Amino acid sequence: MRRLSLSSRLALLFAACTAVVSLFAGVLFSRASEAHFVELDQQLLDGKLIGLRRALQDLQSSDSEVKLADELSRQADLSLRITGSDGQRWYDSSPRLPARLPQQPGLSTLTDAGTDYRVLKAPLFPDRPDSPQLTLLLDITHHQHFLQRMQHLIWLTVGLSALATALLGAWAARSGLRPLRRMSAVARGVSAQSLNARLPETDMPPELAEMARHFNAMLGRLDDSFQRLSAFSADIAHELRTPLSNLLTHTQVTLTRPRPIEDYREALHSNLEELQWMAQLVNDMLYLAKADHGLLMPRREPLELAEEVDVLLEFFAPLAEDAQVRLSRDGSARMEGDRSMLRRALSNLLDNALRFTPAQGEVRVSIVEQPKVLSLTVENTGGGISEELLPRLFDRFYRADPARHEGSSEHAGLGLAITRSIIRAHGGQIRCETDRGWTRFVIELPRGD
Amino acid sequence: MKLLIVEDQPKTGHYLRQGLTEAGFNTELVADGSTGQQLALSGDYALLILDVMLPGRDGWQILQAVRGAGLDTPVLFLTARDAVEDRVHGLELGADDYLVKPFAFSELLARVRSLLRRGSVTPQETSLQLADLRLDLIRRRVERSGQRIDLTAKEFALLEMLLRRQGEVLPKSLIASQVWDMNFDSDTNVIEVAIRRLRLKIDDEFPNKLIHTVRGMGYVLEERPA
Repeated sequence: MRRLSLSSRLALLFAACTAVVSLFAGVLFSRASEAHFVELDQQLLDGKLIGLRRALQDLQSSDSEVKLADELSRQADLSLRITGSDGQRWYDSSPRLPARLPQQPGLSTLTDAGTDYRVLKAPLFPDRPDSPQLTLLLDITHHQHFLQRMQHLIWLTVGLSALATALLGAWAARSGLRPLRRMSAVARGVSAQSLNARLPETDMPPELAEMARHFNAMLGRLDDSFQRLSAFSADIAHELRTPLSNLLTHTQVTLTRPRPIEDYREALHSNLEELQWMAQLVNDMLYLAKADHGLLMPRREPLELAEEVDVLLEFFAPLAEDAQVRLSRDGSARMEGDRSMLRRALSNLLDNALRFTPAQGEVRVSIVEQPKVLSLTVENTGGGISEELLPRLFDRFYRADPARHEGSSEHAGLGLAITRSIIRAHGGQIRCETDRGWTRFVIELPRGD
Repeated sequence: MKLLIVEDQPKTGHYLRQGLTEAGFNTELVADGSTGQQLALSGDYALLILDVMLPGRDGWQILQAVRGAGLDTPVLFLTARDAVEDRVHGLELGADDYLVKPFAFSELLARVRSLLRRGSVTPQETSLQLADLRLDLIRRRVERSGQRIDLTAKEFALLEMLLRRQGEVLPKSLIASQVWDMNFDSDTNVIEVAIRRLRLKIDDEFPNKLIHTVRGMGYVLEERPA
């Protein structure tokens, strides 16, 4: 089923409200005027009754008929019927009076042959039980006509005002919802190529300003992710292009003319290096892709972190000694995690630290158990990473050293990205900070006890 | 000692057979799963190298049939997919090892040798020797030409591995995994440094060098004619 548009809904709602209110007012007014008419009629008939009683004081007197006619002639729309106590008709002032009249005494309303009457029935002599009955009939047709016209007018007003408010409401809703349409226009224009469109937040009504802010923030996040993603694809192509072009050129040049066997061997060796580098790159990228799809599922084996770190430090010891860098560890903690993955993550950090630590420098690993988290810090002397580059360190292919070692068998710039993926797969976080000549990578892992 | 390779990609199969044959193995290659299974069930092979995705019957089905027939021939899987479930599935079915493409041939060769060696019972050695290099496993001492050499624990373990597998090219990843228990691809040059430091102690002062670098593939310990 097609849902009604917001402006139609609002317009209908406005119209319904107006109709209800005006109908209520109209009905109230029509009731009030009817009551008012009844009251007027009652007063009039009461007055007439007194006059008639006086005129008919003495039924036997000869001038009573004259008095009666005189009394009746003063009010042209008034008729009178006199009946005996037994119900027999004695007198009709007009020949066109209804045959049947209400039996109960008091005021009532009667319609007969297209004429409306207000009827007052009362005994001629209130103190005599067998008194003849007087029935006064007041022609109120014009009153009733007035009331009817009034009712028509009310219905007309209800209808017209509902229509008018519906139209006004539709207009108001449409203009009130204009910011929403602007929003949808922006959303319509958004595509991978134009993620930079933003809504103006300042001239939005307060109800929509927050939504616009969130909308803009969402666009911002999308833009950022998309930029990174497209930079990643571009980087992959770039990273692979260099070794591929080396392979192509080298192979073709080698094949252009006969050469001594040593040259072929050399060419193959050189190709092998390029290929190994590419294989490593592809494997690392697959690892990251797996992490991105949430397929990196760490095992949960009990680990003694101090032991793991010591094993790694022993692994890196030859490298550190060569570089004249002191390695140390303090603190210890138990945790559950994937040994192989965590070793890989830490080995990337240590490798990275050793690469950037100057001779006579120091690399320290510290393990600290905090109430909620377990923090593992790898820090090395030799700062030099500027503050704004810190969050980018974990980006794929990002190298602090702007002159990339293209095609070298060294790291491809995915190590820290892999480390972050592993830490995240363990439910932890990693950040980098620099402080007075130290570069510090801080890993925080949830304590699983 | 006969090896069976079941691999449907012609190039891969061809190079695998060539490499393994040149490494001294008697190798047979088939390209489809059904023939592969028939041959594997004959029980004539010392090792099966199976691709997972195969026409006819896939690698896992062959493995199941082999284990179902009560054969404990070692099985090494090759696959282009690196899903953890795949690995677990393969190992649950009784695979002995698992290599993900792209892999280095030296890595495959080293693993093939490990698997083949696993079955054979090696006598309890008390010492290992190559030329004038002697490693005393009991007293944990190393001598060359009667001259005692001091090694760290890890250097000792590294040399022991090289000696045990002398003549074999050992890829860096295998060394990292066996000596330091680092079971992941790492682009660090720790192994190069460790080998260089070991050379400094073992080879530098002697005219005939024993530790050799096989460029792009790894390291080998052997005596080469001067």
